[in-house]
Amino acid sequence: MRWLRSKLALIAPVVVLAAAGCEVPPQDFTQTGYRGLGFEDNNNRKTVFDSAQALAARIPQTPPKIPKMEPAPPGTYENVQVLGHLSAVEFNLFMQSLVEWVAKDEGCAYCHVQTADSVNYASDANYTKLVSRRMIQMTQDINVNWSAHVGEDKGVNCWTCHQSNPLPTNYWFYTDENQPLRNYVDREGARVQGEAIFNGPGQRNRQSINQTVYTYQLMTHMSNALGVNCTYCHNSARFADWNESSPQRVTALRGLRMIRHTNMEYLVPLQDVWPENRLGPMGDGPKLQCATCHQGANLPQMGTTASHAAGWPGLTQIGYPNPPAEATDGG
Amino acid sequence: MSEYQNLITQVQVHGPLDPGVAAEDSEWARVGKPGFISRLLGRIGDAQVGPVWLGALGIASLVFGLAAIEIMGLWFLYQVDWNFMEFIRLLPWLSLDPPSPAYGLGFPPMMEGGWWLVAGGFLTFSIILWWLRMYLRARALGLGTHVAWAFAAAIFLYLVVGFIRPILMGSWGEAVPFGLISHLHWTAGLSMRHGNLFYNPFHMLSIVFFYGSVLLFAMHAATILATAKMGGEREIDQSTDPGTAAERTMVFWRWTMGFNANMESIHRWAYWFAILTVLTGGIAIAITGPVVDNWYRWGLKHGIVPDYPDVYAAPVPAVQPGELEAPYQTAPPMTYPGLDGAAGTMGGAR
Repeated sequence: MRWLRSKLALIAPVVVLAAAGCEVPPQDFTQTGYRGLGFEDNNNRKTVFDSAQALAARIPQTPPKIPKMEPAPPGTYENVQVLGHLSAVEFNLFMQSLVEWVAKDEGCAYCHVQTADSVNYASDANYTKLVSRRMIQMTQDINVNWSAHVGEDKGVNCWTCHQSNPLPTNYWFYTDENQPLRNYVDREGARVQGEAIFNGPGQRNRQSINQTVYTYQLMTHMSNALGVNCTYCHNSARFADWNESSPQRVTALRGLRMIRHTNMEYLVPLQDVWPENRLGPMGDGPKLQCATCHQGANLPQMGTTASHAAGWPGLTQIGYPNPPAEATDGG
Repeated sequence: MSEYQNLITQVQVHGPLDPGVAAEDSEWARVGKPGFISRLLGRIGDAQVGPVWLGALGIASLVFGLAAIEIMGLWFLYQVDWNFMEFIRLLPWLSLDPPSPAYGLGFPPMMEGGWWLVAGGFLTFSIILWWLRMYLRARALGLGTHVAWAFAAAIFLYLVVGFIRPILMGSWGEAVPFGLISHLHWTAGLSMRHGNLFYNPFHMLSIVFFYGSVLLFAMHAATILATAKMGGEREIDQSTDPGTAAERTMVFWRWTMGFNANMESIHRWAYWFAILTVLTGGIAIAITGPVVDNWYRWGLKHGIVPDYPDVYAAPVPAVQPGELEAPYQTAPPMTYPGLDGAAGTMGGAR
């Protein structure tokens, strides 16, 4: 005991340091695959509880969902490009929701040109309106064509990522440090292991260790973004083998493909739209990644229905322009 | 013998400085004075420090070695824009990387891996000169050259990971980066790139010898410490003229495990376990890539991979044929908006 007391000054900082890296118990472990392989879902009860409370506080107060109605007649609007399939009522409810989802503090004028006495809803003068339109198209595309990742009956809406703010969290730019993230953007660069046992003439897997480390970093990145460990998707003894991976890995693959698609089709083409202050250190516009939506949870926003697209026809089908009114007689 | 110390007692011998036996090639005198006495070092070993025999080889080795470390350190400083506080803060993550695989075995531009090649060359010179020094010093003292050959085994592994395997693979990019975290990344990357190195039988052997070395080291050290009060640490005396210490340790091991090494053979056990760790390890790395690309597939073929039952209810359809083919198979160079000419050295990996 005396020995312990004399050494306490030495031992105490070590214990404190060691404990600082730990979470407060209890942890919940759920086995998700065959025994003995570390296939498990780990959740800290307190962390989950805190996250749920924070989530409840930020749930958006959107208008009620209504049954599907007929599209607004031609000529209703002057410059509606991607929401022509909505009725006037649906359109107005959707615009109200958009404010809740994306610009809660800024209001309609964040996108629409507002003068002293009126609002010019048709004007495309604000870059934010152009970006919004592109993002609505992207969300429609995700919900219609990428249901393999976002779920047939669920989908995503603007709030899933934006959380009522104009800028979602966890967007990213090119830097020297995040080279591995570029695997998201333009290539299927994650697979490095070959199918053959031996290397030889005519059969040579040219993937480098360098590329493998990129893959590792990309995977760690996904792991952080979803708040899961490697074995949520992989049998860690054989990362490449699909037969022994969990079904979540297929979902994740489709997610990676979806991110590549949305970045290439929707965000990169906005390059000329962004003002100077929205560009990254290398001059490129913001891009999305797993963490933009997932924000540390394997189901974005813990799977709350407020994050789903269901019930919002503005987001659940590919939109089209509201056609101009037909020429009237005697004109 | 004035240098005799017993491991049990706390007595330190502080006598006149002992220059040691004369070396056989004495045209180069020992550098500096015979040394000094350190009470602190006396607590863990011989209290006398020196004399140091540096010699031409030692000086050349230090010059090359310091040049290599200097290049790495300056590169790390360059990476943090010559900010010393950032250098300290980010030191574990800073790294002097080998050139991109795109350069093959050619000499890359200095800022894109050339400095790695220069630093690696200097370090290799330094190590080989140091090896020569160890060999020649052992001969000069009339010793066997066991230490030099054990060191050579370690150098073999060093050369395999940084020189031989990259040449066999046709790219300096395969070699190990100089950096604390980055060389761990290389280790993990090598294993995963080649389908899990644990299925590599030479790697298995290396692990066996490695853990075996640790076990032998612990058993031997414990045995000698346990008999220190009987003079057990005077192993040379004990092996030529076994006294009660040797007798008791042998009986102890025969009692507990039925067999004992003797005072001489235990050292051969330890020596060969240590050397075989790096020899088998070097073979394991040298054939990973140049010969075997995927150890997991190799393990499947030879029945060493366990077969696990399919336990998933599979609510998600399995990956569809063709789904692994990418729609965006563009080249991966530095042609992104704003990135022209500004990418780091790791850009062209593939």
